[in-house]
Amino acid sequence: MRRSFAAEWLKLRHSRIGIAITVLPVISLLIGCANYALNREVLVNGWYSLWTQVSLFYGEFFLPMLVAIVCAYACRLEHMNRNWNMVLTAPVPAGSVFWAKWAVSALLVLAAQALFMALYWAAGLLLKMPGPFPAETIGWALRGWYACLSICALQLSLSIRIRSFAVPVGFSLAAVLAGLGLYVAGKGVYFPHSLLTIGMHALNQEPLDPRSELLFWIMNPAYALLLAGWSVRGLKRRDVATA
Amino acid sequence: MRALKLEFYKIRRKKIVLMILLLLAAEMMWAFMSTSVSISRNPDHAVWASILFTTASLNGLFMPMMTAIIVSRLCDMEHKGSTWKLLGALDVSRGRLYAAKYGCAAVLLLLAVVLQAMLMTAFGFMQGFADKLPAEWLVRYIGGTLLVSLAAASVQQWISMTVRNQAFALCLGMLGSFVGLTGGLFPEAVRRWLIWAHYMDLSPVTIRYADHVATFVTQALPPDIAAFTAGTAAACFLFGGLHAARKEI
Repeated sequence: MRRSFAAEWLKLRHSRIGIAITVLPVISLLIGCANYALNREVLVNGWYSLWTQVSLFYGEFFLPMLVAIVCAYACRLEHMNRNWNMVLTAPVPAGSVFWAKWAVSALLVLAAQALFMALYWAAGLLLKMPGPFPAETIGWALRGWYACLSICALQLSLSIRIRSFAVPVGFSLAAVLAGLGLYVAGKGVYFPHSLLTIGMHALNQEPLDPRSELLFWIMNPAYALLLAGWSVRGLKRRDVATA
Repeated sequence: MRALKLEFYKIRRKKIVLMILLLLAAEMMWAFMSTSVSISRNPDHAVWASILFTTASLNGLFMPMMTAIIVSRLCDMEHKGSTWKLLGALDVSRGRLYAAKYGCAAVLLLLAVVLQAMLMTAFGFMQGFADKLPAEWLVRYIGGTLLVSLAAASVQQWISMTVRNQAFALCLGMLGSFVGLTGGLFPEAVRRWLIWAHYMDLSPVTIRYADHVATFVTQALPPDIAAFTAGTAAACFLFGGLHAARKEI
């Protein structure tokens, strides 16, 4: 597993995926801050109002799509030049291949979340927010990342099966809407993309009730394990399609 | 024409139309649910303008991403199959190959927009909208949406053709979606330069808020925005084609 992880990390060298991870949080923050600054007389809840502006579009729409791009990127090299044949004949279990990709994707998403939080803090200072920095927003960002772990598993499953880079990202856009629909219908804890909405507190800053809280912590690893099992089974049994 | 036909021949098993249908289904379901809720809260919203406005506003989120996916798939198959050299060795200019790919993307986008218009029409008849079916609005809607999508496609094709790594093209599509979704928040002077924010501007109807009441109003076609969008499409197509033709494979 450690060697698979090191190999995945090595493949990301000079890949410029960092540009994608940087640009999106920056633009989300800039637009959120501009909207906050223009509507300051209505948004009177200080740091929390700023959070609603910066996290709404980022957490609801663009973070899941960023996860999809990162996961598609993690499988991009394998889909080229018959590299799946090489990977699957390497002396490592198929499970290690999947979990290494998942761990690298999760780390990249964590980096995006850390950048997002650093920018949020800097924007708050620049906009001269009253009161101290709300520590719970760090928890919300981490919970958002935790929810991204199941989305990573879902997107990796799609990206491993689908040769195209773009199609899994398209699925992600459709899944975002399905997640929003389920969140509005009160069934958010049963779908990975709405678990992200819940975790990031993008639409509602109220704490979860104990049942939803428990389901949030259980459903994410359950989805990740289920989807990982499906993917690893596919890697072991399916014939590799080459161009 | 033969080059265009061959583009369609190459994508016959790529399931691109299926992908378009999936994204359209998600968008239109959202539009229909949103409009139905709006009508149940305010019966005055049971008019064609409501569904046209809702769909146009959702297009800002969906169409840039859909455009990026379509164009990326058309170009990525050549990158992945390493077939650029084969195509370059044919007795067809690279400019024509570039135009054929653009034409193929344009036809697929037209299909998506026409399907949207048909679904909106079906929804309107099912809801029993009181006013007459506004054929002129639908034509303007199709034209405006297609024009903005073609401008976005010309930018996307430039990137997808010249940069092998499709992550950049998809990131651009995602940023386009972001701009399309938040376009209404930008000041007019900034918005006019952002092609992805023009779906609402070129829509035949818009919404006005007065005394906390929302009213749908017809908006005239803004000639400057339409001209800028068409100019961007033409310029990016031209320079992208030149760049792709001169780039070493």
